Amino acid sequence: MATQAVISGQGDQRRTLVVIFLRGAADGLALVPPLGDDHFHRARPRLAAVATKGVRLDDLFGLHARMRSLENAWREGELAIVHACGIEDDTRSHFEAQDLMEHGGVAAGGWLGRYLRSRPPAGAGALACVAVGKALPECLIGAPSVSVMQTFEDFSLGGGTPAFRAQLERLYAMERGDLGAAARDTFDALVRIEALRTSPRPPDNGAIYGRDEFSAGLARLAQLIKADVGLEAASIDLPGWDSHFAQQGQVDTLAGRLADGIAAFRRDLGLRMATTTVVVMTEFGRTVEENSAFGTDHGRGSTMLVLGGGVRGGRMHGEWHGLAPEKLERRGVLEGYGDLPVLNNYRNVLGAVLNRHGGTSANLAATFPEFSLNTLPLFD
Amino acid sequence: MRPTRRQFIATGAGAVLATGTGCGRGGEDVRSRMGLPTHRPLSGDVTPPAGREIDAVSHALNRLTFGVRPGDHRRVAAMGVPAFIEEQLAPEKIEDRLCERVLRRGFDHLSDPRSSLLPRGAGAPDALARMFPALEHQSTRVGELYEFKDKTLLEDLSRATVLRAVLSERQLLEVMVQFWTDHFNIDPSKGESRWLKAADDRDVIRAHALGNFRALLRASAVSPAMLWYLDGRVNRHAGGNDRPNENYARELLELHTLGVHGGYTQGDVLEVARCLTGWTVRDRKRFLRGRVEFMARLHDDGPKRVLGHEVPAGLGPGDLDRVLDILAGHPATARHLAGKLCRRFIADDPPETAVAAVAAAFTAAGGAIPATLRALFATPEFGAPGVRAAKFKRPFHFVVSALRATNARTDSSRDVLDALVRLGHAPFRWATPDGYPEEAGHWRNTLLWRWNFATALVGGRVRGSTVDAAGLRQTLGGDDAVMATVLGRLPTETERVAYHQSRSGLALLLASPAFQAC
Repeated sequence: MATQAVISGQGDQRRTLVVIFLRGAADGLALVPPLGDDHFHRARPRLAAVATKGVRLDDLFGLHARMRSLENAWREGELAIVHACGIEDDTRSHFEAQDLMEHGGVAAGGWLGRYLRSRPPAGAGALACVAVGKALPECLIGAPSVSVMQTFEDFSLGGGTPAFRAQLERLYAMERGDLGAAARDTFDALVRIEALRTSPRPPDNGAIYGRDEFSAGLARLAQLIKADVGLEAASIDLPGWDSHFAQQGQVDTLAGRLADGIAAFRRDLGLRMATTTVVVMTEFGRTVEENSAFGTDHGRGSTMLVLGGGVRGGRMHGEWHGLAPEKLERRGVLEGYGDLPVLNNYRNVLGAVLNRHGGTSANLAATFPEFSLNTLPLFD
Repeated sequence: MRPTRRQFIATGAGAVLATGTGCGRGGEDVRSRMGLPTHRPLSGDVTPPAGREIDAVSHALNRLTFGVRPGDHRRVAAMGVPAFIEEQLAPEKIEDRLCERVLRRGFDHLSDPRSSLLPRGAGAPDALARMFPALEHQSTRVGELYEFKDKTLLEDLSRATVLRAVLSERQLLEVMVQFWTDHFNIDPSKGESRWLKAADDRDVIRAHALGNFRALLRASAVSPAMLWYLDGRVNRHAGGNDRPNENYARELLELHTLGVHGGYTQGDVLEVARCLTGWTVRDRKRFLRGRVEFMARLHDDGPKRVLGHEVPAGLGPGDLDRVLDILAGHPATARHLAGKLCRRFIADDPPETAVAAVAAAFTAAGGAIPATLRALFATPEFGAPGVRAAKFKRPFHFVVSALRATNARTDSSRDVLDALVRLGHAPFRWATPDGYPEEAGHWRNTLLWRWNFATALVGGRVRGSTVDAAGLRQTLGGDDAVMATVLGRLPTETERVAYHQSRSGLALLLASPAFQAC
């Protein structure tokens, strides 16, 4: 499809940011295991043995075996990884940590909502911002307009018969000025969405999405991006990572869904990945040591993934101090091995991403109040 | 966390209880029990407007209310616009039983005096008050709001806000509540304001919305929710080089009083922040959570200078009132507020002459809000035909006016709130201290969701809200009357044709360009 003016009527081809939140605290050490660190094998004798079956990324790190579909993105330099990532607060409550992370600290509104508000007309188009799922995530609170979407039906002129629509267009056609222009943009977007709904195109470039909800959501986002409806930011969740017990099966399944979904999305978008960024985040990581139930408990640092055009990929970014006991964060004398500390504040990753998406230092100051940003060099 | 009262009400046990206590009052809409969808039955003369343009009556209704109900035009035309304005400026004299009853039944906790910031009445002291007699005279009990789940509290507060806007006869009060809610914006998703905003809404905004600005400003300055939201609670001077937290002081000058071009300096911001050091709020980990207190040892008690006025050393908590006197009485504050009021009530780009007149009235009235508004409504600019129907309704106004125009029954539950979220204008969801924008430019891209709300409402697809389109048509006396009632004037020929050919005329009216204007 030829590139059309986006719904805002401004004619610029905007970039799209897709934020994937892994709810339940994903085990960063399972997704991106430090295979070259002996302490890892000592702390997780059983889980580490499984981890060695994964992909080798470099001398130190590997990628979960079920995330093999992202190996190409890494080799082609489009996937960057930040380990030991998270929030500064040491709460191990899922709710509090997600809340803090999505708000961007003890702040009002969500970080992405604040960002879109701080940068008019960003996020102001009718379909500029989409949350895939049933509810608005906290990170988007305060956005100028958010569509919570599960299917494209949500974008239709609901219940409007052709006669109704024709008469509505007729009335708005008589409007001059900004209101008339806004109405024309909206009818234009409706036409594009209807085309997606009524004659769905198969994914491009032979991409194959899984049948799970997460993949289906990514497939819809790819269609919106390709239809040039002006999508600037989207959020989608992949829940279920709280792996206290026999985590291997659980994490295997989720890691596979995550990686395969993103890989299909990337393939589907093809050249449009140049103007798209995918960020994967989670509220905190899990204990370095495996527990007696073959699981892991609430920890601190986890992993963030950043994919897309302009990413300085194929490499790890940020600080990493290893898993030697003296390098870990300890909760008290009675606690066991300790936790992977947060060496890289998640805002320093998101800040780099927002820079890529046109954010100025003033926008970022509004997005992350009371935080002195030191963004990681994640992009060219 | 123990179950909240709302959760209890949601159970069958609650329903039985409510049924048992809710009967026996005559003349009420029985469905108003338990927050079931409610409306005010149409009564009296519902003759629609007969002018080809928006007349002075429709204009006054458009601007002073959240939308025109069937019959409103007739009533205001009969009493005259000046009398209507006077009626609305004195909300305490307006009978509003239906709205109060609905609120009491569904949202008792929002008005629960035990969670009040204000001193308690002269009733028998409860156990806590007997143990600590001093509490009876202080704002102490707001902490009880913490018993509620924060999301439940926010949803209930949002629903109550929508219900009041739809049902209340005190429409100008509700309009001004929204105005001040934006002016003193607090996003309750920050820190403990998630529990404390309910008290701010009741005891700061609602208590003073048509009162005196100076008193409103004072109430806001020591509102626990505001102390959380703008970090006043951590503005302290414990000695040495302790630098005050300027967040509240800056917004107090820039947004609440003087305005960004109000002539203050960065030095003034710092000095105001120094004056306010020591005011804090007890957090939820402590006894008497939510209580606002002045900690003398955290106050910078040295001399200060604010906007050229001396604030002598040693005033302690008295610095606060000294500063608020200086700010509330400053000419820049009068101009800033007059500009915002004129933007709300006259035009997005308000005429300078009107702003000057309103500022003068504000000053002359010592900050009395009704006198200021009376002067605004009396300006020639307010009544000028050119400003009529020239403002773009903000989404909240659109949704509420659609419910009012169709005389919908509503419980303002999830679907209505979801529509407001989608429209970007749900109550208490604006993150930054400047409040939701007033100007049309921020809202034009919401058309699709307005159209969808119109078709969903009339089509019976907004859960908890119902419209009886056929009944409305019959009561009003036909299609022409429906069109004139909803539009506030006779339809144009194009509108009339579109109404009939659209097959859903009422929805089309609500979705039409004319209904987006006020």
